[in-house]
Amino acid sequence: MSKPAGDPNADTETGAAEAIEETEQYPMEFEESENNRKAESERENISDSVEKYDARKIATGEARYTADFSINFPDLLHAKVLRSDIAHGYVKNIDTSAAEEMDGVYAVITPEDDVVPDELYTSAGQSYPEPTPWDMRVLQTHVRYVGDPIAAVAAVDAATADKALRKMSVEYEEREPVLDYHEAMDPDAPQLFEPGDVENKQTGADYERNRESRIAGEIGNVDATFEQAEHRDDWHVHETEWETPYQSHCIPEPHTTIGYRDEDNRYTFVTATQVPNHTRRQLSHLFDIPVRDIRVHKPRVGAGYGGKQAMILEPIVLALVLETDHPVKLEATRQEEFTAMRFRHPMSVTLRSVVSDDGELKAMDLYALSNTGAYGPHGMTVAGNVGTKPLPIYPRTENVKFVADIVNTNLPIAAALRGYGAPQGHFAVESHIDEVAHDLGMDPIEFRSINHVREGDLDAIAGILGGDAEGSKRRVRSCGMSECIARGKEAIGWDDLEQPEEDHCHRGVGIALNAQGSGVAGDNLGAAHIKMNEDGSFIMQVGGVDTGSGTDTMFTQIAAEVIGCDAESVVLQSSDTDITPFDYGSYASSTTYISGQAAKKAAEDALDSILYWAAKLLEEPKDDLEATDGVVRSTVTGEHVTLESIGYESIYGGPENEQVMGEASHSTEESPSPFGAQFVDVTVDEETGEYELNKMVYAADCGVAINPALVEGQIEGGEHMSLELAVSGNLEFDEDGEPQTLGFRQYGMPRTTDHPDMETILVETHEPTGPFGAKSIAELPTNGVPPALSNAIYDAVGVRISTLPVTAEKISAALEE
Amino acid sequence: MNVEFTLNGKRETFDVEKSDLLLDVLRRNGYTGSKRGCDTGACGFCTVLVDGEPENSCVTPVTKIEGSEVETIEGLGTQDDLHPVQQAFVNRTSLQCGFCIPGMIMSAKALLEDNPDPTKQEVREGLEDNLCRCTGYKKIVEAVMDASELMNGEVAADGGWVDEPTRPDACGIECSTPGETNE
Repeated sequence: MSKPAGDPNADTETGAAEAIEETEQYPMEFEESENNRKAESERENISDSVEKYDARKIATGEARYTADFSINFPDLLHAKVLRSDIAHGYVKNIDTSAAEEMDGVYAVITPEDDVVPDELYTSAGQSYPEPTPWDMRVLQTHVRYVGDPIAAVAAVDAATADKALRKMSVEYEEREPVLDYHEAMDPDAPQLFEPGDVENKQTGADYERNRESRIAGEIGNVDATFEQAEHRDDWHVHETEWETPYQSHCIPEPHTTIGYRDEDNRYTFVTATQVPNHTRRQLSHLFDIPVRDIRVHKPRVGAGYGGKQAMILEPIVLALVLETDHPVKLEATRQEEFTAMRFRHPMSVTLRSVVSDDGELKAMDLYALSNTGAYGPHGMTVAGNVGTKPLPIYPRTENVKFVADIVNTNLPIAAALRGYGAPQGHFAVESHIDEVAHDLGMDPIEFRSINHVREGDLDAIAGILGGDAEGSKRRVRSCGMSECIARGKEAIGWDDLEQPEEDHCHRGVGIALNAQGSGVAGDNLGAAHIKMNEDGSFIMQVGGVDTGSGTDTMFTQIAAEVIGCDAESVVLQSSDTDITPFDYGSYASSTTYISGQAAKKAAEDALDSILYWAAKLLEEPKDDLEATDGVVRSTVTGEHVTLESIGYESIYGGPENEQVMGEASHSTEESPSPFGAQFVDVTVDEETGEYELNKMVYAADCGVAINPALVEGQIEGGEHMSLELAVSGNLEFDEDGEPQTLGFRQYGMPRTTDHPDMETILVETHEPTGPFGAKSIAELPTNGVPPALSNAIYDAVGVRISTLPVTAEKISAALEE
Repeated sequence: MNVEFTLNGKRETFDVEKSDLLLDVLRRNGYTGSKRGCDTGACGFCTVLVDGEPENSCVTPVTKIEGSEVETIEGLGTQDDLHPVQQAFVNRTSLQCGFCIPGMIMSAKALLEDNPDPTKQEVREGLEDNLCRCTGYKKIVEAVMDASELMNGEVAADGGWVDEPTRPDACGIECSTPGETNE
């Protein structure tokens, strides 16, 4: 057949010229600072697993989380929230009189009260303006799920507040709910949002069809490639469908906020958040209070995983502070965590591909339908990641299309959860790739190796939604995927798997490749400040938000590597909007890559002054000096001066006194992907469908791993969440949309005994755009287990499980077919 | 009403309501190391030892422990002089957000007092009621194995590990899998 005009697969001289032009536009080289690339033997700090900054206070129970601050406030009031117990309808009346008359009740607020803003906003903790619709109110009259907040109480203690809630009676006018997201866009489906219910609408919004957003992008010509495949015997088309459920963050520390008006007449919050600066701005807008009059302090946080990339409790607390003029604490219950906080989006994902006989991917066409629940925080951006994170694993595929619809339903609110759409996408892509390999009669690793990303690739897929096709390409400057596969394959025993003795038990292995990003390209900011004490130690302030992963430790190691001192010499202050420089917050795998680079630049700024003072003291040119081992040494004479001498001289030496300080901001258009390979070894009993994981191996390329033990911890914890999505995570509802999963006892969070043996492999590469060659790691390992397990089960017993969680019943049913 | 019990080795009297749970009383009196995670005894973040046994203090009526011996995380080591279990958690980087750690350490202490030389599988079973969301439990189980060696005097408590301990892992599988052994 003749090729259609403008065939993207045509290999012409014009193509070669374009390639040269692209090499110039997207060079492989990147100009790094001189100190950025160090052989392992030259590194003084970053490659050590130095003790976690907060380890001792955590181990002794002295680390203070938000609720632990309660004892600082003798007049603290305890808040509770009255929540809707219908899935869809209107609150016609709330009788609060009995509650208000109770002893110990200080305030009951409803949407009628002046302290409750009559404004639309979003809880999504994102940059301004949020790429999320403003579709919610602090307290709702139009309720859209069982759990929507409709009133709040502040009382002398939690028990009194609880009693007050039970004394309030609510009259509803019920509406028919949308409970199946596959039917949300049907023409006759009930409508959740009326005109005027939403501001800041997003791309492709169509609220008459309950659609928050539709996003789409294409490179090459997908339809033409599929048409071509119909006429060619050597090209094959595959289409597969995948389904993923709600997943809970299971945040150890429930969402908790303490707020109060301080003696300077400003509003201060001690709050468990990943986004202190976004929260300050969003409170300012919502309550019309100047940014300068709000302070958000982050203490130790009992983890976030995206669930605290949100402003959920803070507005209710502020309204109650305004009403009572008392300090107020609001701590979510575990039941609220499982019903009224945030979750991973359930999705249905379809993938079609064209592949040639010799295993070359010609086209991929991905469609995702995402259920964002009652409101849309992070709805569009999470759906974007379904395609833009896993598809670039195969960047030489020339024809790629990606479309997603994000719909509202009368179910709990989905939002950011570690991985942020990428796990749903990886389940589809990496299981699909496996199916194709088997159909071609190829080993799944061999097939992947023909197509997977390599150093030097020019990836146009990550920017597929960007619009400006040329501006959105990404040169892959670091990629250890091949080594991840090779070492993981060896560790899992891919080639020499022994079968169990029992005839009805079968053992199999599966692989899934993973990609993510390092921060949001072009939409990020980290900043840091460092000052030197007279004894040569340092105090560093960073906006980067450590919610447990150990980024505070990472900051001290980066500063120490620059200055040539011990990490313990750097005292770290993080995340207080009054004190620390601005930072977007800890999300999108940005803290090491973005905030860490800010810390490095700030330390380099300080180093410049340190060298100035050393040059004075040593009477040698600055250019001959290097900082190492806590001293500044001349590379010419070998003479040295200690940081302590420099500290005393700069502060007490005479008329030129100055404090050595450094400061820097960092933002970038770059977002290099870390890469990984997940392996799962499973044994399946064909009589019962029951399966047991024997071992999981994860091999990761995050560039240069800063503090390897902390990096391993991120990988092992990420795999834990991925394991849960694969085997046990899910929320259940009755036919009225009433949640049935109310706590840990009903939810399948894996315990110590549910985890197989795990092996973690770090594959080092050097990412020139990252601090000392580092890329991110936190989200990458949340992507692997569902597809790797589905693939391992196929390898063991030849059946494909395409909906999560994978259960014995599903395997058994598939075996019977 | 008053309740009297021994807290971290010291006889204490607390003014309580009859309906108070042990966790409420502890936290109200400044013992905030025990964390509130679920209020239903399902997560283990509030684990303390009552007469040597791990208990979820969030579901333990305070009146029930009159005269008992209660140990909380505050009764273990200090930052400058850590208990071996705490030391092992610090050395192994077995903690991230830390919210589950006080309860986890108390359960691990009870486990090791009961069984000073456990297998990895026994550690897993002993910590089954303590949830952790950050670590995948790998470094936690390893830390408890380290702590066992520390407490048995097999490793010097100098904070550093000469050799990384390696042990074959228990697979826990019902179908026997060649190459895997249960310890």
